[in-house]
Amino acid sequence: MNPIDEDVLTNALHDVANSFDISSDAASRIAIEAASAEATPRLVRLPAFIQNQSRGRVILVAAALVVVVGAISVPLLRGEESPARNFSALKSPVHGGTSTVPLSGALGVKSAALSPPDGAAITGNTTVVGNGSTTAASSPAGSLKIESTGAVALTVQGAKVSPAFSKLTSLVASDGGFVSSTNAHVGTRGSGQFSYGTIVLQVPQHSFALLVAQVQRVGRTTSVSSNSADVTSQYVDLTARITAFKASRQQYLAIMQHATTISGILAVQSQLNNLQSQIEQLQGQLNVLNNETTYGTLSVTVSEAGQHSLVVQPRTGFSKAWHDSIRGFVSGFEWLIRIAGPALFALLLLGALSFLGRFAWRANRRRRI
Amino acid sequence: MEGSTLVDDLQEWLTESYAQSVRTAFLILILGNRLDAEDAVQEAFLRAWKFRDAIAKESSFKPWLYRVVVNSCNSKLRQEIPHRDRRSAEESLLNIATIDKVSDRFALSHDMMIALKDLPEHLRVVVVLRYYVDLSEREIAIAISRQPGTVKSRLNEARKRLAEHPALQLLSGPPPTRKEVTP
Repeated sequence: MNPIDEDVLTNALHDVANSFDISSDAASRIAIEAASAEATPRLVRLPAFIQNQSRGRVILVAAALVVVVGAISVPLLRGEESPARNFSALKSPVHGGTSTVPLSGALGVKSAALSPPDGAAITGNTTVVGNGSTTAASSPAGSLKIESTGAVALTVQGAKVSPAFSKLTSLVASDGGFVSSTNAHVGTRGSGQFSYGTIVLQVPQHSFALLVAQVQRVGRTTSVSSNSADVTSQYVDLTARITAFKASRQQYLAIMQHATTISGILAVQSQLNNLQSQIEQLQGQLNVLNNETTYGTLSVTVSEAGQHSLVVQPRTGFSKAWHDSIRGFVSGFEWLIRIAGPALFALLLLGALSFLGRFAWRANRRRRI
Repeated sequence: MEGSTLVDDLQEWLTESYAQSVRTAFLILILGNRLDAEDAVQEAFLRAWKFRDAIAKESSFKPWLYRVVVNSCNSKLRQEIPHRDRRSAEESLLNIATIDKVSDRFALSHDMMIALKDLPEHLRVVVVLRYYVDLSEREIAIAISRQPGTVKSRLNEARKRLAEHPALQLLSGPPPTRKEVTP
């Protein structure tokens, strides 16, 4: 259909508009009211580039986008850094047609043969061991709480697993540590038998690097891994919380002395019980952390040479490429999932900012008049 | 624009264009009444007067003043009039037309009011400013803070909608037909 004729529209509008009379005194009334009003200068005048709506909107949206992306990307980038370094080449369980028979103590090694020496303390020396090489790094004494763990896989000639365990036990004793646990097995293959086992050693932090080096000389080393983690912040946090709870407990004890009614005493007692429980719980965590940072833990797996290795050999060639590809795919997918949350948040925030900006823009435009 | 000139313009606008402004506001506030229109214009003029220093920096005086009027009407449409009973407002609107003037063109005015009422607010404003106030498309663009192209498209859209409105079918007339040429 054709648009309505302009002349017809103009005439009709004039007819509608002229369908009523205007008050004759309205204009003079407004003039009198205006005469008493002082001119108000504009308090805020927007810059000219913002008055240009399209460009101003683009600039506002771009600024909001930069702020949002910056706010999200900075924590993400920081979060990529890991406080602990891990050199991997870890052990795997026995496999390949062997039947295992537990022989606890049969190889002549007692669990926890040595008790830890009293008063052992870390000296602040921390060690990071990787791929058979040992590196020492120094840190301020007493300021860091380092938790060290490691694993060594050894092969020995003939039926020398038991003597190897004995040697490892004497080594850890000489370094001021102790044997945490042992686990020995005998496997069968064909008509013969073979033995293998794992011994977990705990040694003071300052001797951890030395022990790792000594252990590697007991047999032929097939893999070494070590992991050091700084748990100082966790330690400080636990200590601070315990201190705060103890201070609260003292205050409640003081209140208890002034309590006169039974209900009041019961209420304070309930709070005290709660506090005491929390203090003990935190103290337990602190003790565990103390133990872990006082002693480094080294797990040594010993097996006879010529048997199936207990250690997964590093892959090479196509196998390595294939597994790297799978790992990369999984990592990429994990990254997508990890980034989806912040991205969604960014979109929501951007939408909210855009909405607010649009609202403020309209409000400002109305206020300008 | 100088301050003294501006004051003169404002006074001139008040004395000479007050009636047209009120009628403009009346057309925009199609669901309101004459008092609403007068209120809107009074508020618009007082605001313009209060911020006359800012107006002095504006290059286009007339469209700028109509922008104040339009915004004042918009405020009324969004804040005050929606809370009233719409039926009573429509009745009062029709009563004004009935009481003030009864003429041959009453039916047309009545139909136009109905069609205007059914137009969306953003289309109604450009139609009124263009065909009643006789502002150019560029001036309307200043008055409603939009691009001239937007004004043009809104005007076309509004004219099409008015032509399609049942109340104005007779005004738009039948589509043009090809004349038969006799030999």
